[in-house]
Amino acid sequence: MKLFKKGKLALLAGAMAMAVSGAFGNFASAADVTINMAVPDWPPTRIMQDLANKHYKPPSGNNVTIALDFIPWPNYYEKLAASLTSGEEKYQMAVSDSQWLGAFIEGGYYMKLNKFIDADPELQAIFKDLHPNLVASYSTYPHKTDNYYGFPQMPDVLVTYYRSDLFCDAGEQSAFKAKYGYKLACTPQEMNDTDWDQVRDFGEFFRRASGDSLAGQTLNDDFYGIAYQAGIGYDFNTMQINGFIWQHGAGIWDETKAPNGQALGVVNSPKAVMAFEHYLSLLQFMPPVVKTGTMDIFKTDELFREGKVAWNIQWIGFGESAISTETSKVASGTDFAMMPGMRNDDGSITRWSNIGGQPFILTTWNSDLVTQESIDFVKWWLSTGTQHMFAAAGGQSGLQSVFNSEEYLTYRPWNHAFGPQLDWQKDVWHIPEFFELLVQQQQTFDKAITGQISAQEALDSIAAFQDELLREAGHIE
Amino acid sequence: MSKRYQHQQGLIAQFISENRGPLLVTPALAVLVLMNIFPLLWSFGLSFFKYRANRLNEPEFVWFKNYIKILNDPNVWDRFQTTALVVSIDVLLQLIVGFLLALLFQSQFPGRRVLLMLVLTPMMLSFVAVGAFFRYYYEPTFGLLSQAVKAITGERYILLATPEGALAGVIFADVWMWSPFVMLLVLAGLVSVPKHLYEAAEIDRTSAWRRFWTITFPYIRGLLLLAILFRTIEAFKLFDLAWIITEGGPGTSTETIAIYVYRVAFQYFKTSESAALGYILLFAVIVLTNLYLFFVRKRAAEEDA
Repeated sequence: MKLFKKGKLALLAGAMAMAVSGAFGNFASAADVTINMAVPDWPPTRIMQDLANKHYKPPSGNNVTIALDFIPWPNYYEKLAASLTSGEEKYQMAVSDSQWLGAFIEGGYYMKLNKFIDADPELQAIFKDLHPNLVASYSTYPHKTDNYYGFPQMPDVLVTYYRSDLFCDAGEQSAFKAKYGYKLACTPQEMNDTDWDQVRDFGEFFRRASGDSLAGQTLNDDFYGIAYQAGIGYDFNTMQINGFIWQHGAGIWDETKAPNGQALGVVNSPKAVMAFEHYLSLLQFMPPVVKTGTMDIFKTDELFREGKVAWNIQWIGFGESAISTETSKVASGTDFAMMPGMRNDDGSITRWSNIGGQPFILTTWNSDLVTQESIDFVKWWLSTGTQHMFAAAGGQSGLQSVFNSEEYLTYRPWNHAFGPQLDWQKDVWHIPEFFELLVQQQQTFDKAITGQISAQEALDSIAAFQDELLREAGHIE
Repeated sequence: MSKRYQHQQGLIAQFISENRGPLLVTPALAVLVLMNIFPLLWSFGLSFFKYRANRLNEPEFVWFKNYIKILNDPNVWDRFQTTALVVSIDVLLQLIVGFLLALLFQSQFPGRRVLLMLVLTPMMLSFVAVGAFFRYYYEPTFGLLSQAVKAITGERYILLATPEGALAGVIFADVWMWSPFVMLLVLAGLVSVPKHLYEAAEIDRTSAWRRFWTITFPYIRGLLLLAILFRTIEAFKLFDLAWIITEGGPGTSTETIAIYVYRVAFQYFKTSESAALGYILLFAVIVLTNLYLFFVRKRAAEEDA
């Protein structure tokens, strides 16, 4: 009995010692790590913060805080650029537009990730599962090389938002058929099979004046058929015009062909001019603000949610506000489809479009510990379970295993358009001179949008500017 | 307490009492040097280098190359022309409106104080608020201006669709915001005119124009020049309103030189070129200031004579 008692005491003491040493062991090894991340302030990053707060448990056992610094979109680039270049080393991670890769990699701010990917089978599996267009656009610099710098945070594509309550209205259906001789698209499947000629008809057909009837209701204000971005700010006309250019078989200056790829003769090729004229020809069916050159994605979003247009092309990132009754007057009558394209002779549609969305990146000043924690966070974010949670909350996933799954289609009404549209994505330039190219192009496109110059004059001016700038920078020889 | 310590304390007290003035202004001077003078000199030095803040390359001394490049850049001259046009029309309109408002508020009438407060409100608002307000005001789908014109003509009015309209829109917003400032200055001049001069003029049966020209104007001339100086310098730097209302468009028609400096510095990241452009801008403002001082001195000389 005594022996037993002694044995029990020894066991208890041993267990306590183990518990205490374990507890202190953990206490000693658990480091406090804060990952400050610059992010644009919009639903996909708000959802990420929410999911991280609720579900992220660092595998290292460290106390990791994911602190997102929400910055409004309109001045996001300037604020991030100012922080990076000032040397304050405030952010350990950032959500970055893919076009900024060149500028900030050349500046020495974005960390190259190859050695981490090479050493980590889990990351390799993630990269294998990601859609290749996302890897090319969000990760590589120089573009389409094997140098990786980013992981997809929120992949985004342009899709069609349309008023199914109008497009499916029996009266509108019969009136459209009588006028144009074919059925007005109603279901998302029918809308997926839409080309730009049909879009023109939508624009003309749904243009109504105050006092006219629309789906059996008398309008008390003017109503417009179609809308897409045509704004002078940031990239708010380039993103749409590039789609037209690629769909017509023309091209923008191709950085992957540097230093032999030319701007002159490519940017202003006859096909490119035709494509731009095509883009311009549809503006007449849009709300009058388009004539001011300020109809950016925020304005088209507002016009759609206010019930002023029947059909709109918009980034998926705006989808949540379009179907929420709190923010949209047309929430219950909105549906989604792929962006239209050019009809081919065989009936298929060429749908090239400019990719949206953003990767997140790691900054070069991170310590090994912070880098490892950041990569662990990325792996958690790009894990199948988290990506399903993100998609269920309104985000998009770039993992093929996720967006091709049956349940993915059930999360949101636009998800059916996302996967197929991803196959048609290209990206604008990633070189450090990106912003100079973009600003001149935006302003020159805007002159054509506001009727000051022709499509030919605009593209000639852009081609000449790009040729000079790219030669000076050594991208064209 | 040792004698040595007491001696040291005495020396410190003596130093403070002998240098109280310089010591009082030292903190202010230190802040000025740290926050203004040093960055000014640093950026001036930078303007002679080839340097971009977002590149790893070491700065390279290039003498006046940045200045030569900027002065040969047609974009710069185009933006200067736009700015000159904005400044001329903007300041002229502010003077006219401000002057008329001052004449109105010179006299006493019921509700004057409330009205005066309302008129002064625009210049107390932030640029962003005024810019956003006018952007919506001019917006052709929802905007008040377009709706009002449509109620009369049946057609929507799209002010910002043309370069001229966009310029007018930006200028109108700036005039709305800053005319009250001119009014305040002119009003200060108007109330300082001795009443007996007007009474004497009335006895002499002088015309209203002659009364204005010989009595009123000399009193407000100095303040008007001050208003011109302040408003010209401010209008020369016009950024916020144009950026928010038109984003410099259509095309580049409302892109002022201040917006262009911003693009060169923070979008193109041509740091040293933007510093050089900033100094050219500063030079232009200094020239304007000296023109003002020239007229003030001329006036003083005339008065002395």
